[in-house]
Amino acid sequence: MKLISKFFYTFIFISLILSISNSQIQDTINENKEDQNWTDRTLEIRDKYEDKLRSYPVFNQKAFLPNISIITDFSYLNYNIDPDSSLIVPGFIVDTSLKDKGFNFNYNELSFYSSVDPYFDLYVTIPFEEDEVEVEEAYAVTRSLPSGLQLKIGKFRSSFGRLNSQHEHVWDFATSPLVYELLLSEEGLNEKGVQLNWVPATNFYLFTGIEILQGENELSFGTNKLLINTNINNTGQEIVIKSPTKPNLLVSFIKTSFDIGNTSILTGLSFANGESRFNSIEDNNFAFSGKTKMLNFELTAKHFIGSYKYISFQGEYIKRTQKGTEFEYDDMGDLLVNQYNSSQAGYYAQIVYRFDKRWKVGIQHNQIAENTIKINGESKILPSNLSSNYFVIEYNPTEFSRIRLQYGTKNHLFSDFERKKINEFIIQFNFAIGSHKTHPF
Amino acid sequence: MRIIIYIFFLIFSLFYFVYAQLNIVATYPWIGDIVKQIGKEKINIHIIGKGTENPHYVVPKPSHIAQLRKADLLIIQGASIEVGFLQALINQSNNPKIQPGKKGFLDLSNFVQLIEKPENVSRAMGDIHPEGNPHYNLDPNNFPPLATIISQKMIELDSDNKEFYQKNMEEFLSKWEEKLKHWNQEFSKLSNTNVIQYHPTYNYFLKRYGIVQVGTIEPLPGIPPTPKHIEQLITLCQNKKISFIINSVYYEKNSCEYLAKKIGAKFVILPHDVGSLPEVKDIFNLFDKILETLSPK
Repeated sequence: MKLISKFFYTFIFISLILSISNSQIQDTINENKEDQNWTDRTLEIRDKYEDKLRSYPVFNQKAFLPNISIITDFSYLNYNIDPDSSLIVPGFIVDTSLKDKGFNFNYNELSFYSSVDPYFDLYVTIPFEEDEVEVEEAYAVTRSLPSGLQLKIGKFRSSFGRLNSQHEHVWDFATSPLVYELLLSEEGLNEKGVQLNWVPATNFYLFTGIEILQGENELSFGTNKLLINTNINNTGQEIVIKSPTKPNLLVSFIKTSFDIGNTSILTGLSFANGESRFNSIEDNNFAFSGKTKMLNFELTAKHFIGSYKYISFQGEYIKRTQKGTEFEYDDMGDLLVNQYNSSQAGYYAQIVYRFDKRWKVGIQHNQIAENTIKINGESKILPSNLSSNYFVIEYNPTEFSRIRLQYGTKNHLFSDFERKKINEFIIQFNFAIGSHKTHPF
Repeated sequence: MRIIIYIFFLIFSLFYFVYAQLNIVATYPWIGDIVKQIGKEKINIHIIGKGTENPHYVVPKPSHIAQLRKADLLIIQGASIEVGFLQALINQSNNPKIQPGKKGFLDLSNFVQLIEKPENVSRAMGDIHPEGNPHYNLDPNNFPPLATIISQKMIELDSDNKEFYQKNMEEFLSKWEEKLKHWNQEFSKLSNTNVIQYHPTYNYFLKRYGIVQVGTIEPLPGIPPTPKHIEQLITLCQNKKISFIINSVYYEKNSCEYLAKKIGAKFVILPHDVGSLPEVKDIFNLFDKILETLSPK
């Protein structure tokens, strides 16, 4: 990771130096030519001679620099419980550690985009966090396949659902919906692989495709083999569950959109199907090996009032079913191997009203609608009504800067078998420079 | 579940038929109107932006992607005016014919002399366009060369109807030239009139006819007015006779009305494109309406 960041810093530095020095040289050459009297042989000779010492603008490549943009996201955060509380979400094994109270540097996202050649475009997104760098997306898409087909190759956000394929800076809320957090993790379904999509020549919008992905999502899929000892103190036998065949995840989706007057509807279904390997036996006394199926239903309805104002409804329902073997240690520290069946689902539904060119308000309701886990055929007793609600108000001085206030109540976290109600307050700042990005629908 | 998707593929391949007509997508109504005058019944036209919308802020609805997918030709205004919505639509259309640089992509800004090209650009200067002011469709003298270019492109893509397009283009040009004489004569009477406009939308028009822009209500392009800036405008106009305060349909009107009252100018809304006002049905009406609004009654 450090190597990548070093490489990019050097690349940007060198290209900056090159472009500055080259343009200066170009200017001096032009000036020289204007001043120069063509009969003055000495000047002409000197000019030619000095040419040899200069870098040749012939090799100047700055016209080929890709479109570059940088988006910085920074926030102030406060909530009403102890940041070190150990929290769980019943039925889900997720990272519940809370962000720091006070100031948070969320990300500094560097993105590049350019055509590679007549056949491909390349998109690269590299979010720099305060102390780490990762390649979030780097993929090529074809430009000239016939019959409305397009191929996407590389690491990309899957087209599973609506928010999943969008970058978080275009989301309407500062946080990701609860159902995404619990089933897909904060990064969402972001995988290495290929996508083949098709836009048929119909009178209304239709977008469908399949993805073959590596399947490394930390919550729902996984490609690592499991190594589990039959005793909690590693004194027993080592059990090995082999890695699944890789690539391991198949996603398919179909989306359609149509307009009714000034209202646009976008809706779709997505499916994900893959193997899961989940090992949290040391931290949470739970490991799982089996199959995961997911379904997503999305619906957006946006009603436009004039050039800037709109009211939109957006919602997604995600369901996950898992079937396989579960591993846990009993009170004596011996390994139990159980049959595991789960069916967990949830949704978010939000209404956003942009009432002015610069102002937007919104509310979002998050609900876990189903949380059934059967171990050896017996249902686990889990609390119902896991939910959270958010209210947001946003001020956009221009389309390149944003100040957002978000207030949320979280009703899904438990500590020592007791529900912990958390009230959370966020002030978020987002700034973008560089090439102009297309507005999202 | 996957079987469902395969069935969808099958059903929609049945819908998949070749259109005999030339499919054209234009980003704005005025471009679409030129296309209609030349192509008439031999073409299908889809227009992305609405006349009532701010041309800088068109919503990239997915329904436009379906139309771009079928298009043989995409005609744009260019000069970065479509930067907020068009690129993603083109990318998602999966249509190689209309990709920038291909035969089916026409950027009209390449065929007019753009004004106000800044030497340096920075977003601190507001919403400025590095190529120059993009609102060149408000000078009626720009239309004949653009109509010629559009018809040439249509002939290139659909040579079977060459005579038809040629004839319509010539008809359009002679009708336009006739009108243009009238407009040029009438608009020239406005020469040296002082005006204030909301956004530099009408600069091509003002420049052509020697109308003087004293200021803009926006302190910087795309930045809404502040009370301080309005006060400065009032001071600026103290010893000047300002005839008109010009606005387009999509901006707020309060600051214009306030300023008009303060400096004794007439507040008018000018059409900026076909369809911006109900009576502006085509590009001829566009300039007729501007003339009617600015003529002394």
